[in-house]
Amino acid sequence: MAEHTVAAFDEDLGQISRLISDMGDLAGTMVGGATKALLNSDNALGQRVVSDDAIMDARQRELDDRAITLIAKRQPMADDLRHVVGSIRMAGDLERIGDLAKNIAKRVGSVGLTATPRDLSHSIDSMAQLVLIQVQGVVEEYAAGDAAALAKLRNDDERIDVKYTSVFRELLTYMMEDPRNITACTHLLFCAKNLERIGDHVTNIAENAYYVLTGTQLPANRPKQDETAMSAPAA
Amino acid sequence: MKPMLSTELNTPEVAVDKAKIEVKNLNFYYGQSKALKDISLSLPERSVTAFIGPSGCGKSTLLRVFNRIYELYPKQSADGQVLLDGQNILDRSQDLNLLRTKIGMVFQKPTPFPMSIYENIAFGVRLYEKISKSEMDGRVEQALKRAALWTEVKDKLNASGLSLSGGQQQRLCIARTVAVKPEVILLDEPASALDPLSTAKIEELIDELQADYTIVIVTHNMQQAARVSRQTAFMYLGELVEFDKTEKIFTSPREKRTQDYITGRFG
Repeated sequence: MAEHTVAAFDEDLGQISRLISDMGDLAGTMVGGATKALLNSDNALGQRVVSDDAIMDARQRELDDRAITLIAKRQPMADDLRHVVGSIRMAGDLERIGDLAKNIAKRVGSVGLTATPRDLSHSIDSMAQLVLIQVQGVVEEYAAGDAAALAKLRNDDERIDVKYTSVFRELLTYMMEDPRNITACTHLLFCAKNLERIGDHVTNIAENAYYVLTGTQLPANRPKQDETAMSAPAA
Repeated sequence: MKPMLSTELNTPEVAVDKAKIEVKNLNFYYGQSKALKDISLSLPERSVTAFIGPSGCGKSTLLRVFNRIYELYPKQSADGQVLLDGQNILDRSQDLNLLRTKIGMVFQKPTPFPMSIYENIAFGVRLYEKISKSEMDGRVEQALKRAALWTEVKDKLNASGLSLSGGQQQRLCIARTVAVKPEVILLDEPASALDPLSTAKIEELIDELQADYTIVIVTHNMQQAARVSRQTAFMYLGELVEFDKTEKIFTSPREKRTQDYITGRFG
């Protein structure tokens, strides 16, 4: 893309891109940290994720300020306008990912996983890996300007939904097998739900990023599976 | 099913209920120099169309073809067709005076006549119509109201048109144009010399006038084009690069040249 005649315009847009990239990296770190803290009962790591959320919030406020100022000063058009508005929306989703990661991290002390069999958390671990790949992927593909990869990544959220359904059923089984598992499994269910919601925010980001890059919206309907509602109310 | 413009590759998106002006393969020459190159587009009736593009791209030239004002100057000529309600206005047999009552024009710099506010409007009407004093009073009032100027000047209709502020003068010129009951209004940078408040009044006026008139506006102010028009044509070096719905042009234009121009990446 050619540079703007007014070089400061490019700098302003560049700062917004850097903030999105920073927030994306931070979101990946928080999601990875939160699940690791949960699975290893690592309170210190959990605390770090909680405090990272304050940084995430501050970045979002900074991005909002910069985007609003840029619109007021430069009245962006076409791809510039999509970039700025899309960034505001993506920052909103990244901030929510931060909140959900914090929610997972806050449960580290409550789950008391050390007292429960490790295999309770095995499928949560693989679900978290899927989510983490999505979070890291969306930021990378947006930075690389790969619209096709973003469209694919958006559809890949289905795998997380399917995984969530299986985690839900699995945890339900553990609870039925042994009531002593109920406390831990309930917390894990909330964590799984948080991970599933993070996947949805990644989907939003992918859709926004696709629009920013191409100027066209992805079709509204995406394959969606959450079969937990069929058997019991979702957490 | 609305008819779609399909004759030109670069104009597929603007659906026209009824075209007021149809430009077909228009070329324009300043002496040997070709200023417009094979322009074809349809301007919908009772709608605002904006022409944008860098200086020298031909947008004002195109506007000047619509009422043949270029004929005032030697060595300027046009070929192709410009159909107003199906009639080719470039046809030599076309009555120029009649044409210019149908197609009014307002210029960048306000051009009030050095006479009273009242006479600025009555003068033009008298050229074409013989009406009584009371009818003329009514016509002047109606035109000034239409141009959102009436409340500001109703107590000083005999004051000179030149005593008004720039924004008021421009609205007086619009009133003068409206008074002869045109069908099309051409606006060549009508607000570029005005302060933001006067500009807003002109834009509000354009918005109201499109209920009754077909309006074409040339502007360098892209935000203005985005605000006031329903369709926008981007021109460059005498060519029509892209013609589409305004929201499409300013959010996701198809042509890279359009994108570069409206985002400030040109040259």
